[in-house]
Amino acid sequence: MTRPSKQIISLNVNGDDYELAVRPNRTLLEVLREDLMLTGTKEGCEDGSCGTCTVLLDGAPVRSCMLLAVDVAGRHVVTIEGLASDNELHPVQKAFVEYGAIQCGYCSPGMILTAKALLDTNPNPTEEEIKLAISGNLCRCTGYNKIVSAIKIAGENIAGVSSHE
Amino acid sequence: MRLPEFSFHEPLTLDQAFATIKKNNGNARFLAGGTDLVPLMKFGLETPSMIVSLKKIEGLKGIAEDNGYAMIGALTTLREIISSTVISGKLPALSEAAMAVAAPPVWNVATLGGNIRQQTRCVYYNQSRAWRLEKEPCFKAGGNVCHAVPRGKKCFSVYCGDIAPALIALDAAATISGMAGPAEVRLIDLFSNDGLSPFTLEKNTIITGIKIPVPGAASRSGYAKLRVRSAIDYPLVSAAASVALDKDSIITGVKLALSAVGPAPVAIDLNGVLVGVRIDTADFTALKDVLPKKTQIADNLALPGSYRRKMLSVIAKKAIMKAAERAAEKETI
Repeated sequence: MTRPSKQIISLNVNGDDYELAVRPNRTLLEVLREDLMLTGTKEGCEDGSCGTCTVLLDGAPVRSCMLLAVDVAGRHVVTIEGLASDNELHPVQKAFVEYGAIQCGYCSPGMILTAKALLDTNPNPTEEEIKLAISGNLCRCTGYNKIVSAIKIAGENIAGVSSHE
Repeated sequence: MRLPEFSFHEPLTLDQAFATIKKNNGNARFLAGGTDLVPLMKFGLETPSMIVSLKKIEGLKGIAEDNGYAMIGALTTLREIISSTVISGKLPALSEAAMAVAAPPVWNVATLGGNIRQQTRCVYYNQSRAWRLEKEPCFKAGGNVCHAVPRGKKCFSVYCGDIAPALIALDAAATISGMAGPAEVRLIDLFSNDGLSPFTLEKNTIITGIKIPVPGAASRSGYAKLRVRSAIDYPLVSAAASVALDKDSIITGVKLALSAVGPAPVAIDLNGVLVGVRIDTADFTALKDVLPKKTQIADNLALPGSYRRKMLSVIAKKAIMKAAERAAEKETI
């Protein structure tokens, strides 16, 4: 069999437009990490169980290890590198740092992006809603309590800022 | 784990999809959400030479209520199903089953058709290539042995779909399309009960949609699932039930379907059990008698088969109670 040729795809990642030549068998995770050097997105279980590779696709959290890059051509991707703006951390990142919701940090990019997507649609989630939203993101260090608290506080901070605007 | 190489096609119509496969004469797989297929390909359990994405084909997405039926396109995501008030209000077992699948990020990608058509699973099969090399290939991997059932003469891999039992309890049918044209098949008839080849559908056939009769106010449904963790896990045993009550809360009909009990979901003939009694006085001990004595439950998922077998009646009762309570709520409104 002749080797399948590369396909040209366009992808908007963290607000920047890219035109990339990728073979069909490459996952979005591989393209982000290896072609765009966005290594904030982590590789974990590689079969969709752990959530460490979570990125936002058109605003919704997805597993980038299970998506073919050619199958998401033309879509908008946000990785952890895209959250901070002008050296200012995103409120979810700030809360994770301030409230000790990070230990080894491996799950943090996926966890923070999942939390951001939740707070974008529901800035004042209940504890149950937070737990459901992050139920696909495994953390082996923290026991989740501080993560849940940090997300709750980030939501309050975001709501506080927008109510003062 | 890198994916093996394959060509990638994005047809715009079903005819183009079938023509692409015919022309290339390859070992093709259709791609919907990919949450079942992509991990299988990473493990080297599926090695298609061609992937045909269904995403650009119009008419395969959406939820509509029409003439007493809920019509759901096969490419509708689980998130869209969960968000639908028509489904959560009138077909709650489907909503609940979709929410029981994996975790929220998977709902954003996984589709209704893809979930129904997922492959059967086994702890001796769904492993990396390196892991599998340590053992003789099993029936499902092309060998002649079953590691789950010593001296077993066939494959005991398990159908672990959450959604199919809900659709069976709701009397759903699948519209399918293939090279021979479209057809409508009852959900239960999609399954062959053969772990090696779990579907009756011919190769290169697509489920295009699901058609569910919308029940009257006195009939509601529920889904219950046994698993180790409250998210991510596939079912170890699950049940979906649909219960109809009369105005005095007397049960007039029960439909029950099970999943993760063998290579196919099973529709249970309740043989009149529970019918004619008030839900609050119903005696569930007879339920055990109508559940299949000879299931194909083996030691091939995360918990022992003996425990899963014992939990069958517990999970079935849970699904029936959820359905009955919802139907009773509707009755009193």
